[in-house]
Amino acid sequence: MAVALVTTPRPGVKHFIGIDFDFGALKNSGRRYWGFIAVLGTFIVLGGAAWLLYFTHGGSVMAMRDGSPWGLWFTNYMYYVGLAAGGLVVYASVHLFGAEQFRPLSRIAVLLAGVFVMMALLGIITDMERPWRAVWMLLTPNPTSPFVYTGSAAGIYMVICFVDLWILITGFGGEKLARRMTLIALPVAIYLHTTTAFVLSMNKSRELWHTAMMVPIFLSSAIASGIALLLISAYVLTKVTDIRFKPSMFRSLSTLLSTVMIIDLFLITVDVLSVFWPTSASSGHTLRFAEFLSGRYAWAFLPVLILGFGAFALLSRRKTRHLPAVQITASVMYVVAVLFKRYSLMAMGFSYTTLGQKLPIYFPSAAEVFLALGILAFGMLILTVGVKVLPMEVPEYEDAEVTSL
Amino acid sequence: MVALSWRSPAGSDRRWLSRVLPLLVLLVLAALIALPSLSAFAGQAASGELFYYPCSSCHPVTMVPGTERPTRLLPNDFTGHKIVLVGHDKLGEDDVACLTCHDDPSRDPGKLKIAGGKLIDIKGDVSQVCYRCHSTQYKLWKAGDHGKGKPKCTAAGCHDPHTPGWIYAQPLQPFIGSGFQFRVLSQREAFSPLAPPAPAPAVDTPPWFRVIVVLGLVALGVQIVRLVLGRRKQ
Repeated sequence: MAVALVTTPRPGVKHFIGIDFDFGALKNSGRRYWGFIAVLGTFIVLGGAAWLLYFTHGGSVMAMRDGSPWGLWFTNYMYYVGLAAGGLVVYASVHLFGAEQFRPLSRIAVLLAGVFVMMALLGIITDMERPWRAVWMLLTPNPTSPFVYTGSAAGIYMVICFVDLWILITGFGGEKLARRMTLIALPVAIYLHTTTAFVLSMNKSRELWHTAMMVPIFLSSAIASGIALLLISAYVLTKVTDIRFKPSMFRSLSTLLSTVMIIDLFLITVDVLSVFWPTSASSGHTLRFAEFLSGRYAWAFLPVLILGFGAFALLSRRKTRHLPAVQITASVMYVVAVLFKRYSLMAMGFSYTTLGQKLPIYFPSAAEVFLALGILAFGMLILTVGVKVLPMEVPEYEDAEVTSL
Repeated sequence: MVALSWRSPAGSDRRWLSRVLPLLVLLVLAALIALPSLSAFAGQAASGELFYYPCSSCHPVTMVPGTERPTRLLPNDFTGHKIVLVGHDKLGEDDVACLTCHDDPSRDPGKLKIAGGKLIDIKGDVSQVCYRCHSTQYKLWKAGDHGKGKPKCTAAGCHDPHTPGWIYAQPLQPFIGSGFQFRVLSQREAFSPLAPPAPAPAVDTPPWFRVIVVLGLVALGVQIVRLVLGRRKQ
């Protein structure tokens, strides 16, 4: 039986597009909340200054050069697109597979997914130096470039996420429409992650990218890091808002996380083994990969293995798996591990040229770092304000409605 | 409803698993980190070999019939290889020397001309190209007299095909399979495109941006300190 939503109008609540925006909550926020907003604002200003530098000085302010034409922005593109995956997995598991324990997380999951994809797209736009030229990509797309597919998929996916959020908050169309939206969002998400992996794996001349394993690894790392981020966000929400989640939800989430983690780690292990296995090893592969296990890029790749396996070891202990400290530590470890993994993945294509020339190691310039931090702060600002203003808590009665369907 | 829980069958199994699993994880991790030490055996990664790909696999260089215009433009305005010919410079100047062996009408450098005007792929037995002019040495080599005691390889496996006076320190493997990679094991300065790339221009960070960054970091420091102190007061 559907239950009508009855709300008591509060001062500062503005009703718009069917959503009650609680701007009054912002006015009642404490000094620490505004202090955090100020920190984010400062990063955004610094990011804006860096972007201005891009406009005025062009590519010379970036550390990306002929040999390594993709840098921090591409690392972040892969990372943010991946982090958005966790939201969808949780959202889909509620509406497609009936995993009701995750229903309280569905709104924040979709908001996270939308904002992170938006941040990924901002990375592309700001890297363009002349972003208005993006119009030409839309008008004259090159069908042989995977960027056309991943870029458009990211844009479509972002719109789907925000429409999904609106449907979840307003209840428009009920559970049926939410389920149908999931049926659209899930294939688009898989398409997005697959085409992002294709950007790498379609490069025949870059040995470490040109692997059929790239797509499954990309998906598994994306889902694992996304779920880890969602788990961290859920804990943060319980600390900074009145929203409360059941311990059983955290247990289920960490179990799901550890399952995806071990799949991801298994795929990495298989990929590394296939490079180094004596009878199948190819010199070019081993030469390049050795850079990441014991060479110049070991500082970036070894943390992937150490933090990744460490996080799984933490969650694998049944006695301690339910402890919030263990869940948060493991999640943070994995989110950081995947960031290093994305950097390593980017660098794997550029440690050597396609002619076998050893290239200097890539470190982002100050302008690139501050632009990336600015984009991150912008996304965090939307999340921080969104959590305060938007009704993120899933009302209890929705459970009753769902079970009666 | 999907139950997302991970159950072990019995308590003893759980204890066993919780002890063994971290050990297994550590073992896998140690094995992965130790892999590069095997790589010298596996793929001679530590030998400092240089690799390049047959360019024509990805960038077929074909000319529009009847013109000097390539059907596809090459990156960085690349027009042709600059290869040093010592000895073989007698074949002609500029393209004439190249076209003596790379004589495909479509000017695909991946095709080589052998006796009788037939074309073979660069991934094939390129020694047949040498036969066109060096038939005596070729026959001696085939009979086993020339290069006696040396590992049997194609003629271009011992001699640099562009400058035959240069002998490789180790015999060069012919292209194998798809010809995906070509191994250059020479102690001399190898193929000129393999020389280290020119140093990249330094990153330009103008003073005004440095000033903004310093001011921003100071402001951030103050804000973070206030946030931390505010928490202590609470």
